[in-house]
Amino acid sequence: MRSNHKNTLLKVVILGDGGVGKSCLMNRFVSNQFDEHSFHTIGVEFLNKDIDINGDTYTLQIWDTAGQERFKTLRTPFYRGSDICMLTYAINDKSSFKNLQMWKNEFLYYADIKENNQFPFIVIGNKSDITSEREVSQLELETWCNENGITSSIETSAKNASNVQEAFILAVEHWLRIEKRADKNETVYNDTVDLTKKQGEKSSCCIGSSDEN
Amino acid sequence: MGDIEEVFDLFTQDGVILKQAQASYMQFLNSLGTVYINEAKTDPRERFLEWKPNDITVDSDMQDQEWAVVNTIQKRTRTISGSLPSDYSNRLRSLRVPFRDIKSFKSSHKNRELTVYNGQGDTICIFLFQTNCDHMAGHLKKFMKVVPSKRDRNLYYVQDNTLEIQQLTKSFAELNLPTDDSGIWRLVRNFQTQPVETTFEAFSKVTTLMYKTMDKKEISDHDREALNKSITEYGSNNTTDFAGNSNDYEVVATVPELPVRPEFPRLKPLSQELWRDHMDFEGKIEDVESVKNLIFRGGICPSIRKEVWKYLLEYYPWTSTYKERQNLAENLKDEYYKMKLQWKTITKTQEDNFSDYRDRKSLIEKDVNRTDRTVEFFAGDNNKNLNTLFEILMTFVMYNFDLGYVQGMSDLLSPILQLVEDEVESFWCFVGFMKIMSSNFDIDQAGMKEQFKKLQELLAFFSPNLSNYLNEHDSANMFFCFRWLLVWFKRELSQDDVMRFWEVLWTGLPCQNFHLLIAVTILDNEKEALMANGNGFTEILKHINDLSGKLDIDTIFNKAEGVYHQLKNAEHLTDNVRAILGLPLAPSSSNSASSSIAREMSLASDACASNGSAPRCSVENVRISPDENSYERSISGSYL
Ligand SMILES: Nc1nc2c(ncn2[C@@H]2O[C@H](COP(=O)(O)OP(=O)(O)OP(=O)(O)O)[C@@H](O)[C@H]2O)c(=O)[nH]1
Ligand SMILES: [Mg+2]
Repeated sequence: MRSNHKNTLLKVVILGDGGVGKSCLMNRFVSNQFDEHSFHTIGVEFLNKDIDINGDTYTLQIWDTAGQERFKTLRTPFYRGSDICMLTYAINDKSSFKNLQMWKNEFLYYADIKENNQFPFIVIGNKSDITSEREVSQLELETWCNENGITSSIETSAKNASNVQEAFILAVEHWLRIEKRADKNETVYNDTVDLTKKQGEKSSCCIGSSDEN
Repeated sequence: MGDIEEVFDLFTQDGVILKQAQASYMQFLNSLGTVYINEAKTDPRERFLEWKPNDITVDSDMQDQEWAVVNTIQKRTRTISGSLPSDYSNRLRSLRVPFRDIKSFKSSHKNRELTVYNGQGDTICIFLFQTNCDHMAGHLKKFMKVVPSKRDRNLYYVQDNTLEIQQLTKSFAELNLPTDDSGIWRLVRNFQTQPVETTFEAFSKVTTLMYKTMDKKEISDHDREALNKSITEYGSNNTTDFAGNSNDYEVVATVPELPVRPEFPRLKPLSQELWRDHMDFEGKIEDVESVKNLIFRGGICPSIRKEVWKYLLEYYPWTSTYKERQNLAENLKDEYYKMKLQWKTITKTQEDNFSDYRDRKSLIEKDVNRTDRTVEFFAGDNNKNLNTLFEILMTFVMYNFDLGYVQGMSDLLSPILQLVEDEVESFWCFVGFMKIMSSNFDIDQAGMKEQFKKLQELLAFFSPNLSNYLNEHDSANMFFCFRWLLVWFKRELSQDDVMRFWEVLWTGLPCQNFHLLIAVTILDNEKEALMANGNGFTEILKHINDLSGKLDIDTIFNKAEGVYHQLKNAEHLTDNVRAILGLPLAPSSSNSASSSIAREMSLASDACASNGSAPRCSVENVRISPDENSYERSISGSYL
């Protein structure tokens, strides 16, 4: 299916509690800037950025929304069609870490992802520069990821630019792995909403009187 | 209905979300299910389109999600979220549409949505497919006789019901205009109530009919004129776009034009002298409406802004005396500190056991640090004004715990605090502002959704081309205006402009929801850019977000006021738009109830006008007419 894609557009959503640094991460990645006093996000914003991996170009369309619960109904429609989801917390904010589960569920639910162990999630522990106030250890991060079947995680600092590029590359690589695996199963996941594939109970499914044109 | 009935399934597809249906299916909206084409075993002519939910326990959250799904990127044909075996155990309830009720259907959103129409301008249901609706549409086309619309290749008309089509064909070919409430005339009338939906359907219908008849018989000029006229009379101007773009057909619907837009150059700001002139010896403001008009037309001089804002934000009543204001200020100060003490004295343990409070507090802390830090007033570390900002917001949480703190509030408070400076007075002014804005922060965001809807209606009336464009490009939800509306353009304007902007809006002139007309004005100004290159939601959102810092409020006010007059004086103004702007409903309205309301309204306004300055109508009680009236007076005043 993806024969010689020169440029692939990937939709990336960054989720996480208010104030964990989602917008800062995006701005660091896209324009290599950090503004300590930038505004909190109202509504949705997005930025595009190209990255090259193994000679292929990927245009990441990065979506950044407001983290507050109140705006849930306004942000969830944007989850649909996502290729990559970054679950973000701040290492100095335990409750933002605890909320990862909520964010993951919200995403799966509204993005309509069924086989979640195949979706490229990446967990990001931001603000790694302020280790003195660390409330979430790396071990806790790994444990949570294991429990949730997530294989990619990384600690970053939007402030001192550590691991930010790496985080996005990691995410795309993860996406690529899943995509390749899916390619192998092409026949199963082809665009025909495989009526034949359907299990037992429904005996009378399928195409009736006339056949495909 | 417990319609357990023997059926053959002719076709099924799972992974289909019910996006829209009659109210009785409310509980299923946005839930995932399976669509079927069924045939009754007892009667092979009885066929249905049926949808059944996968799981009867619908998460109530789903109902919040009324937004049209925004697809920013076309789904890849293969998705890992692909098809899954659905749960058939649940056959309790389903949506069932007999084929005979289906008059047309249409695929949209890159074939992910399928809309089924009843032929009267109403939608029966909308399905959203996790993959696409190509199979489904293909089978519908096979099981029903359909013709493609010539206007829209994704729209199909069902021909099974030949009767109606024949009638319509007849009436158009011969222009035997029926007076009853059937067929095309109902469609045409629906232009008024549901312009957008109806336009889609009706015009395709009209054009389909035209193309069917055209090659046989040229329509005479006379008939064409009659057709145009009837459409014009009934139609909303949504029709322009369709007609305007149409090269395929000869019938061109002309649409009533809006009156010429008058110019409203801005006046000088309300000066200290004028302000004092309006105050009597006791300190009461005389002729409040004229003061408001002056503010509306020119804003307030910075030297008295601080004082006047207290009136605009209802900290002081306009007609209070010096003495009364002094007492009031003292009482409100006590009240403020009482509330402040409440959270100030919460102990560590209390706080640990009070997660709602803790969450709010931590959110305020985070946001205060990210509010207008580039403005000198809030710049630098350990700025004491940041602390004041924090304390006012915390006290507001105690003042209205249900509403609490919602992101955006710190933006609304910031300019007030910068200007008023005093903590207590700023708090009460903020309370006044929140009275206007609180619905923006509803738990379920109903207030914001309502505003999007109103904005959509205003835009459809004022700028139908743009409105149609947005409809066709996944952007009808107006979501891209979220930031504008949530904090009244705070993020789009400079600190100075925000103050000038808000004080004008606080006057409540010249009509209700004037901020929506401002949004309409800006959108109209950006029309070309928004509609360029087949822009979709993503590009539109980007363009709107990037307008921040580029808006010139004086020209916008000038035009928005002109837009208001164009709408108000438009002959084809709909009651819908009137209601949004708070204008009296049309006196000629066929609905007797509404016309009597309109009569009452104009009586009330006459009373206010003729009484001059004596017993002033309170703006609170009669929102519409007095404003309207004195506003008119001031306009003629300033131009004579
Ligand atoms: N020390 C440190 N501070 C950071 C880092 N990233 C962000 N911040 C700070 O954290 C605060 C919040 O960052 P934002 O990017 O605005 O947070 P957000 O997740 O976008 O928050 P919402 O828009 O409210 O959802 C800002 O004041 C930043 O200065 C980081 O890597 N290190
Ligand atoms: Mg943000």
